[in-house]
Amino acid sequence: MKPFDVVIVGGGGAGLYAAMEAMKTNPSLNIAVLSKVYPNRSHTSAAQGGANAALANKAKDDTVEMHIFDTIKGGDYLADQDAVHVLCSEAPKIIRELENMGTPWSRMPDNTIAQRPFGGATLPRCCYCSDKTGHTILQTLYEQCLKKGVIFFNEYFALNLSVNGSRSRGLIAMNMKSGKVEAFPARTVIFATGGYAKMYWNRSSNAAGNTGDGQAIAFRSGIPLKDMEFVQFHPTGLRKSGLLITEGARGEGGYLVNKDGERFMARYAKEKMELGPRDLVSRSIETEILEGRGFDSPAGTYIHLDLTHLGADLIKSRLPQIREMSMQFEGVDPIEEPIPIRPTAHYSMGGIDTDNFGRTAMEGVYAAGECGCVSVHGANRLGGNSLLDILVFGRIAGHTAAEEARKFEPGSIPEVELKEQLDALRGGMHSSGNYERYGALREDLGKTLARNVGIYRESSLLKKGIEEISELKERFKKVRVFDTSDVFNTNLMQVLELKNMLDLAETVAAGAYAREESRGSHTRVDFPVRDDANWHKHTLATLINGKVVLGEKPVTMGRYELQERTY
Amino acid sequence: MTVPIDQHLEEGKKDVTFRVFRFNPQVDSKSYFDDYTIPVERGITVLRSLNYIKEHIDASVSFRAFCQAGICGSCGMRINGLSKLACTTQVWDVLAKSREQGIIKVEPLRNLPLVKDLIVDMDPLVDKMKHYSNWIDSTMSEASMGKKEFLISEEEFLRYDKATDCILCASCVSECSILRANKEYVSPAVLLKSYRMNVDIRDAIHDQRLAELVKDHGVWDCTHCYRCQESCVKSIPIMDAIHGIREDAIESRGVKDTSGAKHAEAFMSDIEKKGKLVEATLPIRTNGVVWTLQNLLPMAVKMIMKRRTPPPPPLVKSAKGIKIFREMFREMTEHVKQDHKSHKK
Repeated sequence: MKPFDVVIVGGGGAGLYAAMEAMKTNPSLNIAVLSKVYPNRSHTSAAQGGANAALANKAKDDTVEMHIFDTIKGGDYLADQDAVHVLCSEAPKIIRELENMGTPWSRMPDNTIAQRPFGGATLPRCCYCSDKTGHTILQTLYEQCLKKGVIFFNEYFALNLSVNGSRSRGLIAMNMKSGKVEAFPARTVIFATGGYAKMYWNRSSNAAGNTGDGQAIAFRSGIPLKDMEFVQFHPTGLRKSGLLITEGARGEGGYLVNKDGERFMARYAKEKMELGPRDLVSRSIETEILEGRGFDSPAGTYIHLDLTHLGADLIKSRLPQIREMSMQFEGVDPIEEPIPIRPTAHYSMGGIDTDNFGRTAMEGVYAAGECGCVSVHGANRLGGNSLLDILVFGRIAGHTAAEEARKFEPGSIPEVELKEQLDALRGGMHSSGNYERYGALREDLGKTLARNVGIYRESSLLKKGIEEISELKERFKKVRVFDTSDVFNTNLMQVLELKNMLDLAETVAAGAYAREESRGSHTRVDFPVRDDANWHKHTLATLINGKVVLGEKPVTMGRYELQERTY
Repeated sequence: MTVPIDQHLEEGKKDVTFRVFRFNPQVDSKSYFDDYTIPVERGITVLRSLNYIKEHIDASVSFRAFCQAGICGSCGMRINGLSKLACTTQVWDVLAKSREQGIIKVEPLRNLPLVKDLIVDMDPLVDKMKHYSNWIDSTMSEASMGKKEFLISEEEFLRYDKATDCILCASCVSECSILRANKEYVSPAVLLKSYRMNVDIRDAIHDQRLAELVKDHGVWDCTHCYRCQESCVKSIPIMDAIHGIREDAIESRGVKDTSGAKHAEAFMSDIEKKGKLVEATLPIRTNGVVWTLQNLLPMAVKMIMKRRTPPPPPLVKSAKGIKIFREMFREMTEHVKQDHKSHKK
């Protein structure tokens, strides 16, 4: 195959924006997007609530600076402040840009883009399209990419980077439709494969495919991952499935109520109440449940998200999708009765370590969106900042890669590497000597993570978590791929995804065990306070000789000094 | 306060047989069905059942699934003959309406090329989206983008709001009766998306898109069977979009524009004059004398031989109560005109 200038792995918001921007930067470049699903299926579509931007359409006194401060404070001062500045100052422009390309934003009475309150934000600055914001943004970007003639390789599963010394030569991927292993020689590769929170399985709001493929490939190629221990639990997952009820439901005025009928957030965040930042609200719900004030059911203990006082009209017009989901997955109509919810693993703050331009530690390799970690979210992401992140940094990564592509020699991937990958896929995993079922391993991984590396963490639990993950990795060696066909072998794909999750789970647990403090989403029962003297720094996890080696990186300050975080 | 009991888990389980369509192009010369019987409790979706079958009984059963929350559109398939999303379809609900007791038949979507088992190729749909320019070509130049917003009123927003719910699951594509006969037909989903673009004030290529839509295999091929709308998993009134494009086409391109427009116009004029169709001359008025002679003469001869010809125009009498009907017809067209005017405002 003719070498590409830019190969983008992932067709969600970050990947598509990167593709568009790369084409705009240099139309003569040869650019391709690889995705394991059709791009319009990507998990960006599931983002319901909205994207933050200080447009000041709703609150006239809103400013970019306030957005910056909210984001830094929300991230418990672990975010790099120069990166947050980029995120927030680009926000109004990029939201308008999407609007100019056709995103159907909801509107204010004065016909400007509508905004609503969101957790952790001082003022209402979350731009939305009812509760289908991510879906409509993804549609817009996909439409624009089709318009521009972006080349897509749909349903290709990324397997490996081809590395020559300190440089990438391109990507190796499996064509799902044929089962063939194909080479994508490329001057630059951008990883935009989304998050890894699906490793918590049933306690996760994520799509089945949010398995951290890009992070795992980068990690195995020796690229450091950053802040992996920070996994956000969203406060309101549906009790049975873990599926998400948007923060917009609380933004519109929903209450959180325990079995005593109490709006318990009054005890945890007097001022912000239900609209405290996600880590705080999740911990509050978990505490209510642990202290016996939740509702018991065979499907787990839960609390109520009560929207009944909002009225049928508002629920139908602003939150139609969550009404549909409550009815479909819990049999509850939120107009009539409260929704049963509990916290669910939702977002990975950690990811591939990048600079503010999307560059990673390896020349020619970039990352963006949830897959990367700039870091703008620090120890806890604010609602409405993830869509913004994928747009802003997807675009930046696309621009950087396009600018720098011609600096690098076109790569050529040796045949022998393809053969190695193919042998790995066709080899032992099909043999009758292998007996482990991926479903059981995946289930056990989710359980051990939820129990030992969950919302509340503690030294002995984490130690146990690390041991159990390494046992699971041992068992994985005996995993069996029962489907032996080449065409669309989803059994094989699921096994490969599990491998990625196992590799990343190790870094999450290792980071959580090392970080002896509580900050943002990372709460250590045995170290309950934030320890700025020893831990105001990023964690780096690098694979060296098959072992996870932890390092550190300073946090870029410069705008706001460390403060105590209260709401 | 009482603690609610989760009834779902207490009402027991039912044995359900999933009759799954199987086809692996590598080894099978034709498709067949495999039966898998599993116990299913209330509240379980078809997708969760398929996952269970894949994990515990037969790992080779192949289907797509991603978000599992009804928003990504991956798991469209035919369940007991109807196209829907497996992830939002409750097993017990399907069972209650099942023709064969205890059996749920699961098949791939129709009208798209089969890849394997329940997986079909989505590329033809993407190609059509490209062909009909299913994107906003903004009136704003790329250089000035990001500087200011378009101001869009509630009314302008509502024109496309519902249509943007479409998740391209292709249920409508699978149910479409035209596509069964003609795979080149534009498809309901693509008509819906085209409509959504055409009514957006930000778009600059309305006329160009419309010109493509009125060609062969375009908007006039639809026969109003409403199956697309009935099967839409997001309850989008797709037929409103199709009618919207047609009205727009007649209004901005004239009634003589295409055979589709002429056909609609001939229909209307017959109904107004006689209260029923004058079928004998309908093809001539729609496609002209030459086309009719070239294409329909053999069939006409056959019909004459079998004495199945419609009556010639002079013999078509006006329907009973035609006067009252004409009054109603006039009133209705007046209403439609008014609606259009207020819509334009």
